[in-house]
Amino acid sequence: MELLLQTLLNGLLMSGIYALVATGLALSLGVVGIVNFAHGEFLMMGAFLSYLLFAFRGVDPLLSLGLAFLAAFLVGGLAYQGLIRPVLKAPELNQMLLTFGLAILLQNLALLLFGADTRVVAPPYQATTLSLGPFFLGAVPLGAFLLSLAILLLLQVFLTRSRLGLAMRAVAQNRLAPGLLGIEAERVYLLAFGLAAALAGVAGVMLSVMLYASPTVGFTFTLKSFAIVALAGLGNLKGVVPASFVLALAEALVSTYLPGGGGLVEAVFFLVLFLALVGRAWREA
Amino acid sequence: MKGFGHPTLILLFLLFFALLPYLPLGIWRAFLLDVGFFVLLFTALALSWDLVARTGQLSLAHGAFFGLGAYGAGLLAPQVGTLPALCLGALAAGAGALVLGWVTLRLHGLYFAMASLAFSEVLRTLALKLPFTGGPIGLPVLPPFGGNWPLAAYYLGFSVLLLATALSLWAERSPFRLAQAATRQSEAVARVLGVQVVRVKLWSLFLGSVVAGLAGGVYGMKTLFLSPYDAFSLARAVEALVIPIFGGLYTTLGPLLGGVALVSLEQALRLWIQEGYLVVYGAILILVILFLPRGLVGVLGRHRG
Amino acid sequence: MGKVLEVIRVSKRFLGLQALKEVSLHLEEGEILAVIGPNGAGKSTLLNLLSGLLRPDSGRILFQGQDITHLPPEARTHLGLGRAFQIVQPLPELTVRENLLVGARFGKPQVRQKEAEAWVEEVLRLTGLERRAEALAGELTLLEDKRLELARALATRPRVLLLDEVMAGLRPKEAEEAVALVRRIRDAGVSILFIEHLMPVVRALADRVVVLDYGEVIAEGTYQKVAQDQRVREAYLGRGA
Repeated sequence: MELLLQTLLNGLLMSGIYALVATGLALSLGVVGIVNFAHGEFLMMGAFLSYLLFAFRGVDPLLSLGLAFLAAFLVGGLAYQGLIRPVLKAPELNQMLLTFGLAILLQNLALLLFGADTRVVAPPYQATTLSLGPFFLGAVPLGAFLLSLAILLLLQVFLTRSRLGLAMRAVAQNRLAPGLLGIEAERVYLLAFGLAAALAGVAGVMLSVMLYASPTVGFTFTLKSFAIVALAGLGNLKGVVPASFVLALAEALVSTYLPGGGGLVEAVFFLVLFLALVGRAWREA
Repeated sequence: MKGFGHPTLILLFLLFFALLPYLPLGIWRAFLLDVGFFVLLFTALALSWDLVARTGQLSLAHGAFFGLGAYGAGLLAPQVGTLPALCLGALAAGAGALVLGWVTLRLHGLYFAMASLAFSEVLRTLALKLPFTGGPIGLPVLPPFGGNWPLAAYYLGFSVLLLATALSLWAERSPFRLAQAATRQSEAVARVLGVQVVRVKLWSLFLGSVVAGLAGGVYGMKTLFLSPYDAFSLARAVEALVIPIFGGLYTTLGPLLGGVALVSLEQALRLWIQEGYLVVYGAILILVILFLPRGLVGVLGRHRG
Repeated sequence: MGKVLEVIRVSKRFLGLQALKEVSLHLEEGEILAVIGPNGAGKSTLLNLLSGLLRPDSGRILFQGQDITHLPPEARTHLGLGRAFQIVQPLPELTVRENLLVGARFGKPQVRQKEAEAWVEEVLRLTGLERRAEALAGELTLLEDKRLELARALATRPRVLLLDEVMAGLRPKEAEEAVALVRRIRDAGVSILFIEHLMPVVRALADRVVVLDYGEVIAEGTYQKVAQDQRVREAYLGRGA
């Protein structure tokens, strides 16, 4: 029983990162309407930024969080202007291919620059654990989880209270045909895409401490984000958090109870996803 | 029906590949035949994906169909011989497709893609865990026809491409084209116009998966070895859709052009640039989409699907 | 003669909303029936139920005596029940001719290619679309879109045609032509049930009118009779609909 609860706890803590990245994807998907296969690469970039700053300048990852947010936002904005905007009017499949090409480019650029080895960011507090009764909570996972929640809460406030946030939701609800874009909508798209990238970037910093930074980690997260968004339902931003929890939980349960390991974790998640998608479709009939 | 698909070009393609082993290739022969083989197989796979995409079903399960065919043929060949094994493997893929297709009839767009991906991942895990598949160590596969004919795998691959091309052309030139196009552009409208959408979707998925399964079976007989990560590869499933988008969607010529271009490009880049060749590959994909939105076929003139 | 389409006590609920409640009506052979009512009365839901894109929670639908309540849309089309959509949905990447060809070829079982092509020519002529036959359906004007919608439904050789507000957005002259076209279609042997908001069109075309309000039938009869019905007036004017 204790093991189960501890496992659930571990899963919960991990879900924060998933929720951050997946929410970013949901934003770019819902507001800009683009299927971005390169989304996870922003996470990868955030992770490496954290590593580089730590390894070469001794910058604590806590500081890198903010830097990664800004840097990823900037890069995301540039990517939007240069690459995404031109293809918004093109068929969806073209958009997918473009972002896929971008993902390949970024991932392999990272491989070229950093090699395939994983790089861990190990600040002094990395191994600290807190105990809560019979349970152990890693300080870093706990911090990451709480921080993710805080960021998502801020985002929620932004979307419901600020003018730009409301504009974003309006655009998401009623996406105009490209070509009818006003300047206001253009700004909203840029902001949304940049924000999506920033969320992923921040998650990347967290990941670099909790796990590692690696060139291939981006695509894995892209995939998981898509699965989470599909599980939550397109357009259902609030559903992303519970869906992230389901993924993180499934992974934690499988890795604890099914030491068959490799591949099984993902398979269980995908099985759940498959059943959920099919079940929902047949129910709606 | 009007003449779609630039038949002469297609014929030239096929002729070229049919004759490739007999051309004077010098020291490049082994390499070029290898590249040629993979062009044949992955182009066939791409065509099989396009065939399904024409109904609006964006499949990420073609890796699974490829793998089902590969393992099916690999496991059965010692018992029943090369050709029957290939057919049975393909049928296994077809059966999988019917199950997936039936269950996902009401899923569209991203949801369908995710469900098909999930399907593929689950199957890969099964291949990893089931006792008779050789698990992560892999499955050795016998060469075709007992290894007596060195070009056997190549020409089997060619036959698969031939079949894929024929199916694609048939779908393009028969009333089936309209049924598929209507289904893709609006299922509600298609149904109200009398199109039996369920049949169209399932048939397309079945045919596409059978071709993918054949390709998988031949693949195993060439590489002489199968592993779950290779046979049920997501990268291959993605390549199956990258090629048609790059070359020109919903056509026969598009995947053919795209397949030749991309597969040879990848091999050439790998040879010349080695480290980091994929960076260039990714850049090329981006540039083509930005400047050739209709894919390579768009360069040849307007095409409708 | 006889009832070619019958709706028997059909109900449909969406989440909290009762869209249709025990609605019964029928269409006589050779008749043009109008279904009118304020916004939200359930007219489009009725049409979706008739064409098979939705299933009723209860009740039955009969087509030429045959129970089609659970048949999918394509099967109903094969039997002869055709439909034109309100929000025009052309198949944008196909030409006008190809759009019609889908209907002509697949609207009935076992239609041969030559037959289908010949019929498409007829329909193009009938609906005045010949000059736009090779244009992509995604590039048409609104008027042409509406003609296409009608033409496509015709291409499936219906015995009963369901029309959903096909006059909306047309200028008076265009509406006149459309009315004449609908009459020609009826004279060719097709029974018609149409939803409409524009009263002049209803008065000009309808043999009979059925009025829906909040998902229920509140009146039925000729246009004159229905126009004087107190309940109908209240439904339209009393709530400022």
